[in-house]
Amino acid sequence: MRVFHLKINGDTVDVAAPEHYTLLEILRYELGLTGSKQGCDKGDCGSCTVQVDGVPMLSCLVLPSTVESKAITTIEGLAVQHRSDGGEGASLLQNAFDAAGALQCGFCQPGMIMSAQALLESNATPNRDDIKQALAGNLCRCTGYTQIYTAVESAAKDGGENGCS
Amino acid sequence: MLRMPKFKVLNPATVAEAVDAIQQVEGSRFIAGGTDINPNLKHRLLEPECLVALNGVEEIFGISQTEFGLRIGAMESLTNVETNTLIQQLAPGLASASRQVSGPQLRNMGTIGGNVMLDTRCKWYNQTYFWRKSLGFCLKKDGDVCHVIKGGSKCVAAASNDTAAALSTLQAELEFANAQGSTRIAIDKLWQADGIWNKKVGPHDLLVAIHLPAALLNQKGSYKKLRDRNSIDFPLLGIAARLKISDNIVDDCALCVVALQARPWPLDKASALLIGTTVGSDAFNEALKACCAIAAKQCRPMPNIPGDHAYRHAMVPVFIRRAILSCLD
Amino acid sequence: MAARDKHGPDAPWGDGFKVIGKPNRKVDALAKATGEAIYTDDISLPNMLHSKTLRSPHAHAKILSIDTSKAEALEGVYAVLVGSELPIKYGVIPWTPDENVLATDKVRFIGDEVAAVAAIDEDTAIEACELIEVEYELLETIVTAEQALVTPEPPIHDDRKKRNNISKHVELEFGDVDAQVDDADLVVENDYYFHSTTHTAIEPHCAVATFGNDGRLTLWSSTQITHYVHRALSRVLEMDPAKIRVIQPNVGGGFGGKSDPFALEFITAMLSKKSGRPVKMLWTREEVFYAHRGRHSMQMHYRTTAKSDGTITSVDAKLLIDGGAYSSFGLVTTYYSGQLLTGPYAFPNYRFDSTRVFTNRPPCGPKRGHGSVQPRFAFEVQLDEVATKLDIDPIEIRRKNFLGENTTTINGQRITSNGFLECLDAVEEASDWKSKHRKMRYGTGIGVAGSMYISGTNYPVYPNKMPQAGVQLKVDRSGLVTVFTGGNDIGQGSNSMVAYCVAEEMGINPDSIKVVAADTDLCPVDLGAYSSRVTFMVGNAAIDAARKMRNKIVEAVAEHWKVEKESVRIIDGTVYNLDNDEETLSQREAFHVTEEKFDTLGSTGSYNTPTLGGDYRGGTIGSSPAYSFTSHVAEVDIDTETGEIEVKKIWVAHDCGRALNPILVKGQIEGSTYMGAAEVSLENYEMNRFSLHAGPSLLDYRIPTTLDTAEIEALIVESIDPEGPYGAKEAGEGPLHSAIPAVANAIYDAVGIRLRELPFTPAKVLAALKEKDEVTADA
Repeated sequence: MRVFHLKINGDTVDVAAPEHYTLLEILRYELGLTGSKQGCDKGDCGSCTVQVDGVPMLSCLVLPSTVESKAITTIEGLAVQHRSDGGEGASLLQNAFDAAGALQCGFCQPGMIMSAQALLESNATPNRDDIKQALAGNLCRCTGYTQIYTAVESAAKDGGENGCS
Repeated sequence: MLRMPKFKVLNPATVAEAVDAIQQVEGSRFIAGGTDINPNLKHRLLEPECLVALNGVEEIFGISQTEFGLRIGAMESLTNVETNTLIQQLAPGLASASRQVSGPQLRNMGTIGGNVMLDTRCKWYNQTYFWRKSLGFCLKKDGDVCHVIKGGSKCVAAASNDTAAALSTLQAELEFANAQGSTRIAIDKLWQADGIWNKKVGPHDLLVAIHLPAALLNQKGSYKKLRDRNSIDFPLLGIAARLKISDNIVDDCALCVVALQARPWPLDKASALLIGTTVGSDAFNEALKACCAIAAKQCRPMPNIPGDHAYRHAMVPVFIRRAILSCLD
Repeated sequence: MAARDKHGPDAPWGDGFKVIGKPNRKVDALAKATGEAIYTDDISLPNMLHSKTLRSPHAHAKILSIDTSKAEALEGVYAVLVGSELPIKYGVIPWTPDENVLATDKVRFIGDEVAAVAAIDEDTAIEACELIEVEYELLETIVTAEQALVTPEPPIHDDRKKRNNISKHVELEFGDVDAQVDDADLVVENDYYFHSTTHTAIEPHCAVATFGNDGRLTLWSSTQITHYVHRALSRVLEMDPAKIRVIQPNVGGGFGGKSDPFALEFITAMLSKKSGRPVKMLWTREEVFYAHRGRHSMQMHYRTTAKSDGTITSVDAKLLIDGGAYSSFGLVTTYYSGQLLTGPYAFPNYRFDSTRVFTNRPPCGPKRGHGSVQPRFAFEVQLDEVATKLDIDPIEIRRKNFLGENTTTINGQRITSNGFLECLDAVEEASDWKSKHRKMRYGTGIGVAGSMYISGTNYPVYPNKMPQAGVQLKVDRSGLVTVFTGGNDIGQGSNSMVAYCVAEEMGINPDSIKVVAADTDLCPVDLGAYSSRVTFMVGNAAIDAARKMRNKIVEAVAEHWKVEKESVRIIDGTVYNLDNDEETLSQREAFHVTEEKFDTLGSTGSYNTPTLGGDYRGGTIGSSPAYSFTSHVAEVDIDTETGEIEVKKIWVAHDCGRALNPILVKGQIEGSTYMGAAEVSLENYEMNRFSLHAGPSLLDYRIPTTLDTAEIEALIVESIDPEGPYGAKEAGEGPLHSAIPAVANAIYDAVGIRLRELPFTPAKVLAALKEKDEVTADA
């Protein structure tokens, strides 16, 4: 066992867990942050994507001790951030996914949204190709991706109009 | 969930601490971005008692111009290498190869050093413990047969590191540290033709930085990768090219291929044919044809990684030509 | 007796739809977008154990002995389970129960389940599994379908009446097929091959079971078929079904891969019973590959005869189907491989001879477009060859042979609405077909194909006369309407569909409806999410229940206002008196008025199919209350140097009857098309020479990324079915079928090669191009 000192969604948490646990296991099974999903076991699908200092990474391949000094954001953190920015309910991007029909089974989408959110933070006006490139590590089996592109494009448009994310 | 084996993790802050830490427990391994070693751990291809994490070692980060040329800290992520303006300008082939490694998240995590030190790959090896056990394991791990070559006694798992090919064309020098001190080795001298461990340095030698000599910078470069999907996949074939062109004449040329056999393979005979020809001339076109043909003869893909190896062979001349022509765009 | 009334396709109040056809939000999408939605592996119960399975490393072997003593002695192990403790066989089709939870006497493929352990954590369970000693006696491995056909011994299942490796054989002839050959102007005859592919839902299978001290079992499972799991648990565990509760949490995709009862559902239940603690089992991705039930590979021979004007006069088919180690839905697959080809074109004479065999590989089953995607590929390519040989435009030949609406197919299937011609028109126009076909530069081309699929089937898996779908409504004093449905929402949006239907029928807002689904203790039976039955059947049941409730509300309010019932209207949750603008009631007030008159409010609705199907053995398999129709046009760009096929764009028009929510329908059309296109050259469920899956991971089984998916333009065609809920038919499976032959036919248009064996790898493309060049050179 080792105590990991983590910063997750703005909270500072100390978690005691076996050393060989991955960040995904810590999030899901030790902290109950079950929004990040496990699809492939080993870095092939993108469902477990979280942001580490704003950068999308696969939590199933992250050793928790290597991110102790960094800000980890999970899907649960987006609405937290949105509300602390003065917004209500879910974030703009999460709403856009809902409105566009981009969520069918929903299992890949927490990871997909974390990748898309990082894209919008670095590029507020992505074109279709930018979106495809940014999401090329997130497998979706339901949608054929089109409605996901629509969601990201619409969030980018609304974010531009409202000046917030 | 596919489980990690049990291990402990050391988190050194300096190179000195890291090379000391790795010696504390027999069989310890370094972990950089974790994108190669962690799946391998989950597959029980390695079962070290201790991992030494390198992410806290500041000395092995950074991309900067030096007297020698360009220094890339081994812990720089592939995303950083791909998007760095110095690298894009001075070593476009390396930027291109980095951009084609796996998918976006894995490039954010995976490091240039990790890609150089990548374990070789084989479709009979990169599998779970259960899977490998079901067919009696193999030479590379836990067994004594080769499923690629019947009766084979030498492991032919394939070097699958995209950036190694580009670094070879740039004659990169690799700076290693260990308990005895620091050494530099030319990348083409790093390899040995053994799929079990295809490097002449050991797992306890820490790759600190990659140095690109100034004389070969600021030239044309490209990387062409054969794969089934345009993201995530390892190479089925990878060709890196570097061309120096002065007054429309090919002054210098280097080619390197990966994803054939245990080591990246510089194609010096093939690339030499282009030197001295004028781009677009009949001589250039003839040389290009001959270059592709000789490369195809030199390269013998094996059924070690997924994909039809005869097809991979057929693609060697096509990808060589495309890599070279893409330098001229 | 279940209600059998036909609701008709019109809006309930006769003045247009308020909810139906509108781009409403889904009932669960925001919870999914924020990570709140709970899937099975998100459930953690107090004191819960974790379990793992020991699997066979041999493809075909007898089990001589199993010694679990070392595993049981390991610290942290709480229960160990072996096959002999659960000897009763099961299978989703009640006629072919050939699966054991854990192997009792033999193992039939690498990955077959042998023993299971519940322990304090997964690491300990894995360690314990490795301590179980199993002694095997190896048997000859049946690797291929051809081998199975000629190798009766050893039979993979040796307790069946016949000692052979034939799983099912069906031969049916309608009309006189052979008689057409002599009179035909054209005979085209070829072999085709469709490889095996798999569902690859991103969520791996997971189950959590808790066996209470009161003798009641609760199971949460990522299943598409709560009801069949419920029945199978009762059978195998020999338990009163009233003491078993099966709950389906959110499911991370199914596509047919979660529509059998699976071993982990029984294992967790038994391990919980033995240990007295809740038990979870989460499969690794590799284990999901071994569970499979994906697309059967089929070797197909087709012969089509035609007149010179393009009229088809007969179709003759012979198919060899590799079933893998168990039956699964195989009986149905074998029928579907022939029965579902008889539209959208009229076949005056038709014969099929389908044989499914057992082999020592993971069992095949129903993947999206169950049993009919493979023959559809073969026939649509053959039809394209007929068109080419007769110099007829491929779209025209499809129009020429159109089956029509309100008719019957050669094999006795009733066809109601049929929008296939509109589908062809839509893709022809959208793709600019006329200026592209046979007119594009070498290397680029365009191709078309068509298809039809069922909206559920009147064959209810286990014979019974009860409704196929049931819905209950609870109307609360708060103003909330709770809808209880056994329907399985696996992401396709069936819970949303139910809310839309109830909202439309009652005149209320979908926001004031809560859907409780797929919980056998709470919800009336629905048979499950398979055969594209949910919208049609559960939708009709929901309308039935809602209409009864609306009638009560209208009656109560009319009495309250002392007006005729015709004067009461509910619009968007407000009740209006058409005779008096001043008089309105809120939804909540109206519910109170209704409860005062009728006591506690509830209603039930149900759906059953009319009597359908041909009057012959198997004639009801494949008969559906309505059929959907699809047409795809694909445009491709072939790299003639590498053989790589780039599908640039796919236009797909789908006749879904009526789009209850166009966004959801488009999502189904796009997702189906994407999945079909992926089967053309990328995906391959491939076995190696050891009869072991060649790469059971999402790295080696390559499903497309954003960068590998063609632009897809989905076009909705609404034929308004007379019996569908507001005229709706299915949209979740039909739009996969013709994507594959459309690409194949586009490749022909692009480079003149006729590829008949999937997958179309770049190597195959290059080989065919080389062969064509040699033929051209010889000529």
